Amino acid sequence: MSVVWDRRRTAWAAGWRAFAAQRSGVAGLALLGLAVLVAVLMPLLTGADALNVARVVAPAWEPPGSGHLLGTDHTGRSVALLVLNGTAVSLLVGLTAAGLSVAIGTLIGVTAGHFGGWWGALLMRVTDFFLVIPALVLAIALSSVLPRGMGTIILAIALTSWPSTARVVRAQTLAVEARPFVERARALGGGHLHVTGKHVLPAVLPLVLVNTTLTVAYAIVAESTLAFLGLGDPTRLSWGSMLHQAQLQGAVSKEAWWFLLPPGLGIIAVVLAFTLVGRALETVINPRLRG
Amino acid sequence: MRIAGKLGGAVVSLSMVVVLGFFLFRVIPGDPVVSWTRGRPTTPEMQAALRAEWGLDKPLPQQFLDYLGKLLRGDMGTSFTYSRPVLDVISERVGPTLLLVGTSTLIAVLLGLWLGIRGAWRRDSRFDRVSTGVALTLWSTPTFWLGMLLMMATGDLFPSRGMRDTDTAPGFFSQAVDVAHHLVLPSVTLIAVVYAQYQMVMRSSLLEELHASYLTTARAKGLRDDLVRRRHAVPNALLPVLTLVFLHLGLVVAGAITTETVFTWPGLGLLFYEALTGPDYALLQGLMVVTAGAVVVMNVFADLLYRVLDPRVRAA
Amino acid sequence: MRAKVLRLAAAIIAVTITSPFTSPPSAMAQAQPPVTLKVAIVQQIDSLNPFIAVFQSSTEVGRLMYDYLTAYAQADQKVVEGVAKTWEPSPGKLTWTFTVPDGKKWSDGKPLTARDVAFTYNLMLTNEVARTANGSFVANFESVTATDDRTVVVKTKAPQITMTALDVPIVPQHVWESVTDIKNYANDQVPVVGSGPFVLTEYKAGEYIKLKANRSYWRGAAKYDELHFVYFKNADAAVQALAKGEVDLVNRMAPAQFDSLADKENVTRNKAQGRRFNELLINPGAQTRTGTPIGDGNPALRDVRVRRAIARAIDLDALVKRVNAGYAEVGTGIIPPVFPKYHWEPSAAERRTFDAAAAKAELDAAGYPPKDGVRLSLRLLGRAGRAYDEQASEYLKQSLADIGIKIDVQLVSDDQLNQTTTAATYDLAFSGWGTNVDPDFILGLHTCGQRPGADGTGGTTDSYFCDAEYDRLYAQQLSEFDEAKRVEIVKAMQARFYDQVPSVVLCYENALEAYRSDRFSRFPVQPQTGGVIMAQNGVWGYYGAEPAAQSASSGSGRSWLGIAAGGVVVLVAAGGWFVARRRRATAEERE
Repeated sequence: MSVVWDRRRTAWAAGWRAFAAQRSGVAGLALLGLAVLVAVLMPLLTGADALNVARVVAPAWEPPGSGHLLGTDHTGRSVALLVLNGTAVSLLVGLTAAGLSVAIGTLIGVTAGHFGGWWGALLMRVTDFFLVIPALVLAIALSSVLPRGMGTIILAIALTSWPSTARVVRAQTLAVEARPFVERARALGGGHLHVTGKHVLPAVLPLVLVNTTLTVAYAIVAESTLAFLGLGDPTRLSWGSMLHQAQLQGAVSKEAWWFLLPPGLGIIAVVLAFTLVGRALETVINPRLRG
Repeated sequence: MRIAGKLGGAVVSLSMVVVLGFFLFRVIPGDPVVSWTRGRPTTPEMQAALRAEWGLDKPLPQQFLDYLGKLLRGDMGTSFTYSRPVLDVISERVGPTLLLVGTSTLIAVLLGLWLGIRGAWRRDSRFDRVSTGVALTLWSTPTFWLGMLLMMATGDLFPSRGMRDTDTAPGFFSQAVDVAHHLVLPSVTLIAVVYAQYQMVMRSSLLEELHASYLTTARAKGLRDDLVRRRHAVPNALLPVLTLVFLHLGLVVAGAITTETVFTWPGLGLLFYEALTGPDYALLQGLMVVTAGAVVVMNVFADLLYRVLDPRVRAA
Repeated sequence: MRAKVLRLAAAIIAVTITSPFTSPPSAMAQAQPPVTLKVAIVQQIDSLNPFIAVFQSSTEVGRLMYDYLTAYAQADQKVVEGVAKTWEPSPGKLTWTFTVPDGKKWSDGKPLTARDVAFTYNLMLTNEVARTANGSFVANFESVTATDDRTVVVKTKAPQITMTALDVPIVPQHVWESVTDIKNYANDQVPVVGSGPFVLTEYKAGEYIKLKANRSYWRGAAKYDELHFVYFKNADAAVQALAKGEVDLVNRMAPAQFDSLADKENVTRNKAQGRRFNELLINPGAQTRTGTPIGDGNPALRDVRVRRAIARAIDLDALVKRVNAGYAEVGTGIIPPVFPKYHWEPSAAERRTFDAAAAKAELDAAGYPPKDGVRLSLRLLGRAGRAYDEQASEYLKQSLADIGIKIDVQLVSDDQLNQTTTAATYDLAFSGWGTNVDPDFILGLHTCGQRPGADGTGGTTDSYFCDAEYDRLYAQQLSEFDEAKRVEIVKAMQARFYDQVPSVVLCYENALEAYRSDRFSRFPVQPQTGGVIMAQNGVWGYYGAEPAAQSASSGSGRSWLGIAAGGVVVLVAAGGWFVARRRRATAEERE
């Protein structure tokens, strides 16, 4: 058994080296690390009353410079503090939704690939259907009929973005199961759980990882879009809800670029970071892209 | 045989759209009569009459059959907001969306292809790096945010709303210029966000083609590089991108919702947003069935197109 | 291959650009360009059919198209001539006789008579669909008859105080008698025959509504030619359009938007008193008309002392200052100060001033001492996407936390909020109402009879207030035709409401409007001081607008650079097509 683990460890190490060779991927990873750090630390560093609208004393719509690095919003709160504190919810929604989405996709993909037959065909039919339907439109529809809240947003994004993962995972499952060592395992009496758990899952894991990073990117943009359309949870501070507020309170008329730019740039930075990491991982897994 | 299978699949998908529409907007939200009568003075008798008229007093399976029957006759019910048939409300908004989405997709595809081809051909050159970086950044940008920024940044250059002014001279040319003038900001927004995918796919598709052995042969024959590119590699790499255009139409539709909302472009996306603020469940249901249905049909079309264009698939 | 794609592309552009112009161009072959007032509206039009339209935007357009039986004066909102010039109640106030003078005409030239009035009301009495929008006005009618072309007699089942405030558009009998299916009648066959100062000439859903001045309007034609309502989904865009000169008049602005126009050249702002109030509902133990409790409101709120403590813990001045940026008046009675006759202000003794310590003492006295700092846990419901609710909820959460009440803020969709208040499954909730010149509606809303029926439906109240004293006063004012006495009763009702606190009136928001003073020099506001231009109890703002002496052409705000860009797009499309054709030709030659 330890031989297997050793082999896997060397494989992962080689993968890491291939990843580290790509500058954009490493840059993305560093950016992500920074974002996570901000998300974890900011709530601890921010004073209890700094973001409490009933407690702040600064005038509303202050442009940057006058005591506030990025100015203030419509209630007099510091935009810089808002953006930094909004990181947590944006990341949380993105990661949770992507995790859930990829879990669903993996489950369906592995099941469809492993069992095949009409059951697999049916699952793929459903997958194809959800692949075709515009995911965001469906997510909007879902969050408009379900009660408002962060849970709804996560659910709506996850339930509409899993099909691409399912497709990729199914293809990989089929490829893995065709390999001799899986056939051997099966001949030796390995049950479904054994085959999928010990052989298929580890083999599809790298792919799943790639898909997760790309789905997080999608989920963060989707969260901001839902919030902009008024389907978010305005009681929670996220980049999406900040932009929603900016739009509601007339930031464009006020030409309050300091309220509009930072949350959007935050989204771009994190989404870009996830995309870069995802692409670098993709290159590691699929050496043909490396050329 | 495979075409028949594809068509069958599309029919299955379409019926799933229909079922989903019923489930999402009829089963989950509860009583539409309560939604419809909001803000209007009603008596319990009136509500009961409405319920009977809409068939809501029947059991759910019967309601589903009625919904199906009506749908087949082109009846998608009555919009709560506009008190008019949903299909009428939708059909008058199709034109502007086709114009916006059509123009934007077209330009985005052309731009994406051009950048993708150049990038792949001069792989890892400064041009490739910069254009890939720009594309990925724009791809990561929320559409509505970009729209709002553009509106703020362009100041007086472009109109802030809609598809035309109310007092433009009636002649064709002045009307066309007016519409084009209004089209600039929304289409630039939409193009900026969607072109990256075409560029990326074209680039990687062309890179794969460049590895193919026949190109080496062609070069060995002494053909000039740009000829090799234009005559052999590009046409072959183009195929996956063309199908992608249709596959990703759903994404463009989603982008249209926010773009049209920001710029009050009088199309389906704006209608969708308006239906959300009610929410007007009958209209939402109609919109979802129509847009999802259109995307399904487009995909079948893409598949057929692929067959026509690529002899290898046709033979298989 | 490439040529093919290009050619296809160019063809698609050409087709799509031409497709929206299938409608025939309107005939505007005048040498002099018409003077047009362009108004930005941020609410869509739900219907042009006056019997069905309920949105404020639609009723406003309806008023421009159709006169009501009576109107409200611009200066003081007194009842003045509408379709009817004079009216006379019988001694028992059960029969009202209205006289329609000779000489009034429909926009198609046909005479406007008492028979049209009778037709309209009778249509509403006999057709349920026709009662959709304004049914409440005729609910108490016994019969309506036109005894001749000039006289219409309305008999009511009980005395009705709103007989000179019937906000129902009067429609032409000769057009509407052939309408069989009112529900599906869109009323968009232009020009739509009407009696108001403007005639509808074009409507494009989601885009605009065009009206032109009714030259034969009985008060005299408006001082300009056309009135366009241009739809904006995005209020920011509307404000920018005003700054650029694309539109001439904007309302419903957020404070920041209003402020942003402060120093803009050629823009005049109008800060007016609004007709709405915002309130915080406190579930007083909701019951149906039959007295069965419904919903799951916190039982502590049934105690008036708890409700008073909550009201006392809210600093209304701070709320107005921070949430409304000062653009509101602090709330007291349920009739806004824009109606000074009926508006009520508490005396010094009655007034509940903000006092957290006193609120805590009241809660102690009521038997709610703090346990681990928390006395009560309440839900606060508001509408997501409504700026006021989103912001005020944060303040209320903090204010109530200060007196030991823990608040769980839930911002939900319009629909969910409505369902929750209908089912009374709330503790605290944001609400608000617009009020009319006659206070009957808003007062009646809080009577016991407005609670839902035994099956939990059919109610209009959302406060679930039921108070014997209040109801007694309500019945009394309803039959009090002496105005001074009625005013006293109405004020007493508001005092009772304030004292019992089924809801805290938080503020009366200002209506924030602005217009292009280089295009229009003056707009009549209603009422004369602090009045509004748009959303009036009438159409004076639009009807009486005066074009500026040297009215700049409406296209002046448009930039030539932008036009050029538009032109370039068209040219590129055409050029692309041309090049593609040529390419194809040469490609054939080459190969």
